[in-house]
Amino acid sequence: MRSVKRGLRSFVRHPLANLVVVLLLFVCLTFSLSMLAVKMAADSQVEEVKRSVGNYAELRVSLEHQMQVYQEQRGQDPAKRQAEARKMSEEELLEERAKILVPEQVTDDFSMRPEIISYDKVLEAVVVLPDITGPGVETLLSLRRRLSPGSAQASSSAGGSSFLFEGNTHGASASDFLRGAKRLVEGSLYTYQDYLNANPVVVVEKTLAEENGLRVGDAITARITGAEGRDSEMELTVIGIYETVEAESGGTGQDFQTFNPAGNKFYAPLSVVQELNSTPGYVELGSYYLDSADSSRTLSLAFQDMVSEGLVEGDKYELATDYSDFESISDPLLKVSRTSTIALAGALGACALIIVLAMFIIVGGRTRELGVLKAIGATDRQVLLQYAAEVLCVCLVAAVLAAGASTVVSQQLGDWLLRENTAAADQASQAQGPGDLPGGRTGIPALRNMEENLYKKGGRFSFSSSPTRQTAELDVIYRGILLVYGILILLGISLLGTAVPVVWINRLRPARVLAME
Amino acid sequence: MYEKEDLLEVRKVSKTFRSGSAEVKAVDEASFRAQKGEVTVILGPSGSGKTTLLYLIGSLERPDAGEINVFGEDICRPDADLVSYRRKRVGFVFQTFNLIPSLTALENVTLPMDLDGVPAGEQRRRAEELLAGMGIEGRLLRARASRLSGGEKQRVAIARALANDPDLILADEPTGNLDSATGRVVVDILTGLAKREGKCVIIVTHDEGMLRAADWAYQMRDGQLRGIEI
Ligand SMILES: Nc1ncnc2c1ncn2[C@@H]1O[C@H](COP(=O)(O)OP(=O)(O)OP(=O)(O)O)[C@@H](O)[C@H]1O
Ligand SMILES: [Mg+2]
Repeated sequence: MRSVKRGLRSFVRHPLANLVVVLLLFVCLTFSLSMLAVKMAADSQVEEVKRSVGNYAELRVSLEHQMQVYQEQRGQDPAKRQAEARKMSEEELLEERAKILVPEQVTDDFSMRPEIISYDKVLEAVVVLPDITGPGVETLLSLRRRLSPGSAQASSSAGGSSFLFEGNTHGASASDFLRGAKRLVEGSLYTYQDYLNANPVVVVEKTLAEENGLRVGDAITARITGAEGRDSEMELTVIGIYETVEAESGGTGQDFQTFNPAGNKFYAPLSVVQELNSTPGYVELGSYYLDSADSSRTLSLAFQDMVSEGLVEGDKYELATDYSDFESISDPLLKVSRTSTIALAGALGACALIIVLAMFIIVGGRTRELGVLKAIGATDRQVLLQYAAEVLCVCLVAAVLAAGASTVVSQQLGDWLLRENTAAADQASQAQGPGDLPGGRTGIPALRNMEENLYKKGGRFSFSSSPTRQTAELDVIYRGILLVYGILILLGISLLGTAVPVVWINRLRPARVLAME
Repeated sequence: MYEKEDLLEVRKVSKTFRSGSAEVKAVDEASFRAQKGEVTVILGPSGSGKTTLLYLIGSLERPDAGEINVFGEDICRPDADLVSYRRKRVGFVFQTFNLIPSLTALENVTLPMDLDGVPAGEQRRRAEELLAGMGIEGRLLRARASRLSGGEKQRVAIARALANDPDLILADEPTGNLDSATGRVVVDILTGLAKREGKCVIIVTHDEGMLRAADWAYQMRDGQLRGIEI
């Protein structure tokens, strides 16, 4: 204790030398702590992103296959096709309709993967509601109809308006509700039980409900699209009314400004939509949320394995993920993390160098003092404790000042690093050239958009065509663990600083030192 | 008062320094005795081994051969408690004072007591008393050692040597850096310590004038010690 006191006194009595060391250390420590804080912030942000982006996959029919089916059918004479359809059995007809759908079994099997934490199946269908009037969905539907052979004949004979129905296993997991693009304002959403029991319930858009005088509990008649002459009807009960919080971003073109296909979408249990579409056992896609973006790669590999083992028809189905989104968001963060790690190592090295050099100069300048201390009966331990206390004081003052300063500069440094890295990433992607988008396998721009549109982001046909680039932000938050690291750094450089007098004292011969003039 | 008893007995002590192939026999079978209450002066030219002999007695060097008994205890034995010996049995006074410049006069004197665990109040009281005895008082107590004059420094150094009340005072050219008047004051203080307080004072010097203070004197030449008449 007395030795520590003597160390403190010595620290106070050598203000100039100690101040110089404190200042140098302060600069390097501020930089170290800031880099540490930035690195930790970047790493934790990447982890956070992993849980919300890049952790999504959907199993669906590839666009190429859809195009192929469309090409085949375009080549045929419609009259001849209708005649053929009339002769088909139920099974043949189902097969014909399901050409661009995925068997539910395939999506179910795939959902057994351990990486998957939640799973939904989705089917969109165009359904004729004879009694309901509302804005037409023709522009979108014309495309859909061309792609979908099953419903093509149905709507041509339909008397009422056609509406888009989205079916999934429970209402709350519909991506529009998950994303917050739509919000329930009245009644309730259907549940998983409704899906299992195929309860004929439906959730209706608010404006549409108002215009048609629909309330919760009212019934709507829907036409089930069978083959010619085989249409039947189903009674659907309105159980919920939603409002659109965020209209789908239309294309940039004028025509799309008012066009809001999903705005008056109907939501119903998957089993009900399957029945309305006459495609029982088929879905458009299986949507999977993974535990983390890290699992995305594993899942893609698993899918490829299944394809190569012949369990899945690889030319027909594809597994689309939003991993590239994760990459583009996390890439600058990872770069920041890497840069700050290097900077941290450099700054810590500088701290070590400073303290060792400083102690060499300080202890070297006080060799005689050490000799005197030994000659008057100080033990090595007493001398060491005294010096350790002095070194610790120097480091502590520097560290406290640095901790304060780094709270001010670390956010700036982090932002600057992120800006630099984001700019670098942008330049790199520009250099790649716009005509060669990664993942864009289809030549037609509109279709390429569809290829990239995932159900998670509003669906393949949502026309949210401009992929809004999500940018990463860096929030340098001071966490307890940072304090622990700070203390470890403090102790580390203090120990290193104390090592100098240790070596010195061991080599010191008081007789030699004291005899010096 | 005090008994005139043998305090120090140096027997056939030798010390050889080797640097590379060169060998210097700094102390060569030196023997002498010293008693409490007496001043022993060891006279010798530069390089004759005076300092080495003093450091051997002060345990700052270990002899190659021989014995050094202090109150019958051989400090050259490997199991000797040198820390406590340096703290309490022996006090050094150097030609270059060797005060700690960043400490005040008072703190320099309390330092040996602090190392020995003496309570702070006791340290102060005794240090002030010792310094007063050396004529260091008032603002000089709080002055940094680096600011003191040579004579003041040496008086503070003597007070420090006395801090833990040792029996043996070893002074290496204590007047070497002082003018003759100041040097006389210091020598008077040292003889006073022997006469009034019964310390065993050993002074090594090349200054023959010092002999007037001596009870016993020795001549050192090439490491060898020889008694001289005074
Ligand atoms: N640590 C050492 N290593 C090697 N040689 C030494 C060492 N200390 C002293 N010597 C040598 O031993 C001899 C005696 O030295 P010492 O310092 O004891 O002489 P001295 O009588 O005190 O001289 P001075 O009057 O100049 O102080 C000298 O030749 C010196 O060079
Ligand atoms: Mg000498």
